[in-house]
Amino acid sequence: MANPLKLYLTCIRNTLEAAMCLQNFPCQEVERHNKPEVELKTSPELLLNPVLICRNEAEKCLIETSINSLRISLKVKQADELENILAKKFLRFLSMRAEAFQVLRRKPVQGYDISFLITNYHCEEMQKQKLIDFIVQFMEDIDKEISELKMSVSTRGRLVASEFLKQFL
Amino acid sequence: MMAGAEKIVEADNSEAIITRIEHKSRKIESLLKQNKPVEALKTALEGSPPVTRDERCKSANWIVVHRALMAIKNVEGMFSSLDPEYYDILMKYLYRGLSTGDRPTCDQCLRVHEKLTERAGLGCILRSLADTVNTV
Repeated sequence: MANPLKLYLTCIRNTLEAAMCLQNFPCQEVERHNKPEVELKTSPELLLNPVLICRNEAEKCLIETSINSLRISLKVKQADELENILAKKFLRFLSMRAEAFQVLRRKPVQGYDISFLITNYHCEEMQKQKLIDFIVQFMEDIDKEISELKMSVSTRGRLVASEFLKQFL
Repeated sequence: MMAGAEKIVEADNSEAIITRIEHKSRKIESLLKQNKPVEALKTALEGSPPVTRDERCKSANWIVVHRALMAIKNVEGMFSSLDPEYYDILMKYLYRGLSTGDRPTCDQCLRVHEKLTERAGLGCILRSLADTVNTV
C-alpha cells in the first residue's frame, strides 16, 4: 500500500533532518587526522543513539549519527529468491561505483543491503535538503527498479522458454 | 564496599520499579476498559523512563506503554489532550517501537511519529537521539 510507504519515508526524512547536523571534528586520538567518527566509534561522547526504523519485518533503515558523520543503512524488501538475487546484484553494481555517488559506502553494513556515509564535508559542499531528498528518492526508486528488473527477467524467461519448446511441437 | 552498596540499592530499586510498573499496568487496563486511551497513555508515560540500568525494568515499562499506544485509534485527537511535557518521552518510546519490526506496532508508531513531529518539531527528535543517559 502506498500510504504506509509514505509514512515510512516521512519518518525517515524527519529523522534525517534532525540528525544531519554535522560539523568538522579532527580526530582526538591522532593529531592531524580527521576521521568519520561514526565508522570508528572510539569515543562514546561523540556518538548519538542509533535509531532503527522498521516498516515491517523485511524492510528497515538504521541511522547512526556522530559529531562529524552520519551513516544510513537500508534493507530493501525482498519477497522471493529472484528479488533476492536481483537486489543483491543491482546494489552491488551501485556500491562498486560508489566514487560517482560520493555519499555511498563501498560495502553495506553487516545485515543490510546498502549503506550511505555522509560526512561534514558533504554537508559543506552540498545542500542538506538536497542530500535528504536524494536519499528518500533513492529509497522510492529502488523498489521500482527491482520490480522492473523482475518483470523483464520473467518476460525474457517466458519468451525464451516458448521459443525453445516450439521445436518440440 | 561502595560498589557492593550500590548494587544492593540497584536491586531494591528494580523490585520497587517493577512493582510500580505493575500498579501502572492495572490502572491502565481499567482506564482502557472505560474507553479512555489518552489517559491510559499519560499514566503509562508518567515516571518514565525508569531511573535504572536494569533491562527488565525498561522492557516492563515498554510493554505497558506499548499496550496503551496500540489502543489509541484517533491520533489527532490524542494530541489535543496530551500535554507537551510528554512529547519527548513519547518520541523515545516511538523509536523503540519502530525498532521492534512488528508490523502493527510499526504502523501505529509511524502514524503517531508523523503527527508528533508536526506538533513538537525536529528538536524533539534530536533530544531523543542525543539523550544517551535516560534511554528507554
